[in-house]
Amino acid sequence: MLMALPAFAIYSFLYLYPSVSNLWNSTKRWDGVLPPEFIGARNFTYLATNDDLFLKVLGNNIRFALVVVVLQTSFSLLFATFLLKNTKTTIFLRVVYFFPTILSSVSVGLIWLFLYNPNYGLINAAAKKVGLMNDPGVNWLGDGRYALYAIAITQVWFHTGQMVVIYVAGLQQIPAELYEAAEVDGASRWQQFKSITWPMALPTTAVVVAYTTIQSFRAFDLVYAMTQGGPNNASDVLVTLIYNTAFASFKFGYASAQSVLLVVMVLLITWLQRRTLRVNYGDK
Amino acid sequence: MKTKGYKAFASLRAGVVATVAAALVITPLAVANSAEVPTFGKACTSEGVSTGQKTTSLICQQNSGGKLTWQRVRLGGSYAAPAAALTPPKGTIEFHHWRGEDKVVLQSIIDKFEARYPGTKINQVIMTSGDYGNLALTKISANPKAAVFVTMRGGQFNNFYKAGLLKDLTTQRYAKQNFIQSALTPGTVDGRIYGLPYQSLFNNPIYNAEMFAKNGWKVPTTWSQTLALCKTIKAAGYIPFAWPGATRGNAGQILNAFMMNSAPYATVLKNATDIDTGKSDLTNDWFTGIAKQYKQMADAGCFPPNPTGYTDTVAPADFAAGKAAIYPTGTFGMSSVTKLNPDMKGKMKIFGLITTDSKPYFEGITNNTFILSVNAKASSTDQKIANAFISYLATAPIAQEYAVGTSQHVSVIDVDYSANVDLLNTSDIMGKKLLLAPRFLFLNQGVVRDKLEDALIAIVGGADITKTLTDTSKIIKQGLGA
Repeated sequence: MLMALPAFAIYSFLYLYPSVSNLWNSTKRWDGVLPPEFIGARNFTYLATNDDLFLKVLGNNIRFALVVVVLQTSFSLLFATFLLKNTKTTIFLRVVYFFPTILSSVSVGLIWLFLYNPNYGLINAAAKKVGLMNDPGVNWLGDGRYALYAIAITQVWFHTGQMVVIYVAGLQQIPAELYEAAEVDGASRWQQFKSITWPMALPTTAVVVAYTTIQSFRAFDLVYAMTQGGPNNASDVLVTLIYNTAFASFKFGYASAQSVLLVVMVLLITWLQRRTLRVNYGDK
Repeated sequence: MKTKGYKAFASLRAGVVATVAAALVITPLAVANSAEVPTFGKACTSEGVSTGQKTTSLICQQNSGGKLTWQRVRLGGSYAAPAAALTPPKGTIEFHHWRGEDKVVLQSIIDKFEARYPGTKINQVIMTSGDYGNLALTKISANPKAAVFVTMRGGQFNNFYKAGLLKDLTTQRYAKQNFIQSALTPGTVDGRIYGLPYQSLFNNPIYNAEMFAKNGWKVPTTWSQTLALCKTIKAAGYIPFAWPGATRGNAGQILNAFMMNSAPYATVLKNATDIDTGKSDLTNDWFTGIAKQYKQMADAGCFPPNPTGYTDTVAPADFAAGKAAIYPTGTFGMSSVTKLNPDMKGKMKIFGLITTDSKPYFEGITNNTFILSVNAKASSTDQKIANAFISYLATAPIAQEYAVGTSQHVSVIDVDYSANVDLLNTSDIMGKKLLLAPRFLFLNQGVVRDKLEDALIAIVGGADITKTLTDTSKIIKQGLGA
């Protein structure tokens, strides 16, 4: 017990105290300059009843998370199944896929900003070249219909490699005998995947989905670097909204309330996912 | 709390002071026609152009006979001869600002300061302007080593004042004797000087004079001419206005022009204040009128293709490369353009964007910003270093080095801009009737100004005016009530 005290002290100082402090701040009206005023639960009731922007951004974030979770999980599982064996080629490809993860998120954002540039970007230029697009091209980040999804694609590109590594580690735990037995029984590759890989990969999938969901709900850097939430809040997500509420609008108490709700929602969603993907670890 | 700068807005005269005074009273600059050698009493061609802010500087103005001649610039702002720089104690402080593009020039000035005063060190801490607007208050209030910093005019300066971070500089001789007095307004509260606006910006469109001359285009002086020019430029295969619609801060610069002639100044002030405080909606006739003019510009082809995805990285690049005829953000963008293409030196001129076919109330926009202040929460020693550093920046040779090196006009007197042809060529705007940038009348940046500027950008992008303004009004009101 005593051995855990140093870690607990650090945890308390770095996580517990800020969290409790944030919870306390959420009960105040505070502009970050003048002394805060205690207003009870008013920030929360206002959020629930009077803040259309929060609801819009929440919707954005849910759509963002759905796209990222589905695509990132699918791609990473797909790539992992192809990169399972430890050959020189697969190890090299794992490194290649993992490479974007080590880049600075702002750099990634800026690179994709150029790729998505509607007038000079590579994506539109390539699409026009092969006849898939006409002038003036798709305004990926400047059009509210596409901006959020364009950033989601970038997020998937950025983090899929990380999830591939997790999946590879998980899939390598599946006993080879199962596949050998299936092959003896004449099972096709698809049947092997459906009956062996997928059920056996569920614990890993649960981790990947939970991690990706949390990652999607705390997305900030890519959004900030690429659109700053625009156009007209079309790509705003909860953390950029919270940031702007605190630092551009100087409503620190209200921003604290928004962040408390964010934490509650992420906990709730993660719990629901765990229930949905309930996995038998042996002791349930 | 309302600053003097804020209150000054209530007076139409303040705008005139900040313009004509900032321009004529002290002004800088130069020679629009390089073949024309400014000589006292001789004829000149470009009204308002001046050679600098010295007692010997000349300005092209009408004489009593109505002819344009070179006359003496009136340095009406100073109380006495400029004060010398103060001597700092030894120590190290931080200088917080947002001008990354000025880093090299400022470092050169800091190096000289440090060489002159061994044992004293100044470290630059630079953020992007967007981050600075959002984070500077939080960071500086928690960092007493940030002994000298700048603020933006309006909401940010007011917040720093409310937070008690601004040391009273009223008694400093250099504050009263080295700056254009009219430019001090944005840093003054109830008659006390808490900040010294270092830059005199002109947030008006910069145009490629060579391209205009080659194609026979005339600078527009009315709204109809502006729209017609857009069609002409577009038909010639160029982008008329390299307007960075993907970058709210710079995209919003043209809002100043739309506001300045939308109504008499008193009405503009009232309308903006009413929106800023939630008494009025964006759906009122005044703002709807502005939104419709944005739409007219879009319909006339004034903006680049996919304007809402057009960033402030691409905009100056297109202008510098000769793909766009006009870069509509202001003089502060000139240095970026010449860095991208040095051949643009000497080719840029400026004009006021006039959004009316009637007689305009104002002919252009100015802004006194980059407001230098001393951190009231810094130690006494650090405050002395900060104070000495500002006094050093406020000496004419140093201010001139900054101005020429960064292509920024400054608010310091006795500065000569003749070493920078772009500053010279944009000096004629100072002879016009200018208004202090009115978009900063929206003091609630996050809740109001950002939102309404986003709405205007969306309208340029094709969004329905009524629906966009209605939806945004609701968001603004809810934000104000939170």
